[in-house]
Amino acid sequence: MVSTELVEQLLRLNRLDKLEVIQLLVAELANEEANLLKSGASYDVWSPYDAVDAANIMLEALNAENSLNHE
Amino acid sequence: MSNPARYSFVSTDSSLGEASFKPLLPLTLNYQEKSQQIIGLLDTGAMVNVLPYQMGVELGAVWEEQTTMLQLSGNLAQFEARVLILSATVGQFSSVRLVFAWTKANQIPLLLGQANFFMEFDICFYRSQKIFEVSPKNPNS
Repeated sequence: MVSTELVEQLLRLNRLDKLEVIQLLVAELANEEANLLKSGASYDVWSPYDAVDAANIMLEALNAENSLNHE
Repeated sequence: MSNPARYSFVSTDSSLGEASFKPLLPLTLNYQEKSQQIIGLLDTGAMVNVLPYQMGVELGAVWEEQTTMLQLSGNLAQFEARVLILSATVGQFSSVRLVFAWTKANQIPLLLGQANFFMEFDICFYRSQKIFEVSPKNPNS
């Protein structure tokens, strides 16, 4: 949350300084986004997505074991 | 109801920048008489939990004794997998039974997925703050 004091200071700036602040913040935001993913780097994704059959088999096995333990 | 346990996202490769931070959870896995403290990756995109081959061996599991075969998807589809059920303890919470797809793959993290890690634990991700919270499921659910 931006402080009231900071807002008041920004509003007191002259037109040129206001534009300079805007440019500074836009450049900073663009720089943060550029640092999110590195060009040429390898990012591993191992997730077994959509493994519905595997999930059902595994949950049945777990239920079967739970049933045995409760006998 | 237990208070949630809080953990930090961890960067495993700083050269990858901000995207390198991952929700890694320390937990203890038990199989028969053996116990291992390991780190698992919370993966909401994974339909199942996945145990790398060598981890299963170190827990004392014997591949040939696990007779329920599985077919995984994505990058793990090329590896054989079998069902293995372990006990898992997270922090101070009571232990739970977790069912794993024990894969022949080794160069992968231990994956904690929908079936059944996210069925046993409620997780809140605060990625912007690089923290996540873990609570056992509501016993009435």
